[in-house]
Amino acid sequence: MDVLMPQLGETVREGTVSAWRKQVGDPVNHDEPLLEIETDKVTVEVPATAAGVLVEILVPVGERVEVGTRLAVIRVAGEAMAAATSPGARIVTLSSARPTVPAMPAAIADASPPDPARSSGRITMPAIPTAIASRAASRAASSELRLSPVVKRLLAEHRIDDPSLIPGTGAEGRITRDDVLAYVAARGGAVPAADRVVPMSRIRQLTAEHMVRSVATSPHVLQAVEVDFLAVDRLRAAAGDAWRAREGFSLSYLPFVARAVCLAIPEFPHVNASVRGDSLVVHQRVHLGIAVDLDRQGLVVPVIKDAGGKTVRALAVEIRRLADRARRGQLTPDDLTEGTYTLSNSGPFGTLITAPIIHQPQVAILSTDGVRKRPVVVERSAADGGDSIEIRPVGVLAQCFDHRAFDGAYSAAFLARVRAILEQANFDAELT
Amino acid sequence: MAELSYREAVAAGIAQEMARDERVVMLGEDIAGAGGVFKTTVGLLDRFGPRRVRDTPISEQAIIGAAMGAAMTGLVPIAEIMFSDFFAVCWDMIANEIAKARYMSAGQMALPLVIRTANGAGSRFGAQHSQSVENWAMAVPGLKVVAPATPADVKGLMAAAVRDPDPVIFFEHKGLFATKGEVPDGEHVDRLGTAKVLRQGRDVTLVALAAMVPRALEAAERLDRDHRISATVVDVRSLVPLDTQTILAEVTRTGRLYTVEENPRLCGWGAEIASIVAEERFYDLDGPIIRITTPHVPLPAADALEDHAVPSVARIVDTVVRTAG
Repeated sequence: MDVLMPQLGETVREGTVSAWRKQVGDPVNHDEPLLEIETDKVTVEVPATAAGVLVEILVPVGERVEVGTRLAVIRVAGEAMAAATSPGARIVTLSSARPTVPAMPAAIADASPPDPARSSGRITMPAIPTAIASRAASRAASSELRLSPVVKRLLAEHRIDDPSLIPGTGAEGRITRDDVLAYVAARGGAVPAADRVVPMSRIRQLTAEHMVRSVATSPHVLQAVEVDFLAVDRLRAAAGDAWRAREGFSLSYLPFVARAVCLAIPEFPHVNASVRGDSLVVHQRVHLGIAVDLDRQGLVVPVIKDAGGKTVRALAVEIRRLADRARRGQLTPDDLTEGTYTLSNSGPFGTLITAPIIHQPQVAILSTDGVRKRPVVVERSAADGGDSIEIRPVGVLAQCFDHRAFDGAYSAAFLARVRAILEQANFDAELT
Repeated sequence: MAELSYREAVAAGIAQEMARDERVVMLGEDIAGAGGVFKTTVGLLDRFGPRRVRDTPISEQAIIGAAMGAAMTGLVPIAEIMFSDFFAVCWDMIANEIAKARYMSAGQMALPLVIRTANGAGSRFGAQHSQSVENWAMAVPGLKVVAPATPADVKGLMAAAVRDPDPVIFFEHKGLFATKGEVPDGEHVDRLGTAKVLRQGRDVTLVALAAMVPRALEAAERLDRDHRISATVVDVRSLVPLDTQTILAEVTRTGRLYTVEENPRLCGWGAEIASIVAEERFYDLDGPIIRITTPHVPLPAADALEDHAVPSVARIVDTVVRTAG
């Protein structure tokens, strides 16, 4: 009878003969260790597949063999030599056993094969019920296989990583909903309110996609300047009620910032540009995007076309019109395209500084944050009375720019220019 | 409150509506002079006369066709099909004409009619006179479907069906005709599309219809008494519209759903409820949804076999005990 190289595991296809426990001529008993095989992971003993005499060793120590290779020949008592060495002797190994086993009951088919390492791959009669029993026992013990949907949900909600801590009282030790709740109660944890899953709206999804793409595309650099809005405030105060009566809304800081940006851009044209491949496309016209919050349900950026030549008043009216249309859902596709530079205004909420994300394919975006009265050291020469501390309305303008397009010095100079324009605020003629 | 039998409640519900509205008329085989083969219309001929309570020839198509025409031209007919099995004879008119008239006329035609019928097993009437066919009816868009389990619900839902502006299939259960129950005095009108929670428990929810309702209730008593399993019992009452909110709420409380259905298993109403629960409350389920139904077989006439086919109290109890852990 041939002794074949057994299958030692699901994925193990070969092994090395590391020792022969018997020599040619030795008598062997059934299941007595015959040789040792080393695999990548373990050394296993291969037992004799029949009682008799070891008449042939076909593979020397140190040789690698594949599953199914003939390793040795055992002459079974009464068996002729010729028969023992003839091919096709009836040896059952695990790998060949499956097709030869007659139709089996579902319970057996369901059971995992007996551990091949110990049985050298042969399925023996006693091994089958043992394997079924151990499989059933492990299934009962391992409630992981039998967690119901509500139990899984509760485990997640209460952040219980190891369900085996919970004694199961259900069928076959299954953990029931009540078991989890009892465990949580005993542990002293209140049942937390379930997290809500809020599907993202279309606009939310588009915003998310754009933001991720922008951050991945442009190396963002943040720079900020403090601006003294005293001069602007004087203009706003002077315009005051008359403006409100005439225009129907109050005059905010935003149109002044927009105007200052438009005035500064011709001196720093590269902030009003787009990256296209290895080139910077510098736009001749300023189409100023204004980020508008839609009742905290989303964000749109309508664009003031040809903002460069518009007065503070024209900008104020245009900003107002676009924001109204945006909140009423009346923007047209044209309102949202062609922007070359963008303003994002968190100021009404009193923010200190915001690092906005660039609206692609533009290369810069400016945030206008909250304007608050602050003590400011006003520097004057000794002749003018020297330095003094005054109360001034101060706010931060923060620009994020795409470092591919230009460098920090360029951006800083642009911001300084915007600040200077706002602090001088020569806009008296632009408010009517 | 008066105690009425289920069959008396049928007549009481019809009488209430005929007295209220002159347009309500009745037609069917042996409903007038004989008072109905199941004695569900006793006294109506005497009270409302032969113009409004009409015996018809033995033709289901004639009955349904006449009721449809009457409804189209201003009456509110209550037509009786003696055995629900006979729906197959007139199903074209019900499924294709009556159910679709409002839709296909763009609302110009409404058919305020009720088709009553005796449904279900328990009387040893054999394969052609014992079926539960409520799942036929609920498969047709355009029909409303109710199947009450108690005399009070018979009267209240009959009134609701008559007053509904659209066709309603009203299943009366043969096995319940002799049962009795308290029925509110005076005018009693219930609402279609509402289930009733008859009993609240902690462990499992049994959802049942018609003759399966008293069996589910008795099973719940035994589960409580003999097995310490506390069961909720919901009477679905109305399959179309279906009160999903009540069912979902009760399944959510216990985490377990059993449907108890007399209709044959394939595509029974419980399958629809099971799919709704699986879709909407999967993460509240603490075990598989189990349907307890009549198997997919023609019903036998032999009493022992018929009893074996239709879900019994013992089968409900055994199934729950075996699977509720």
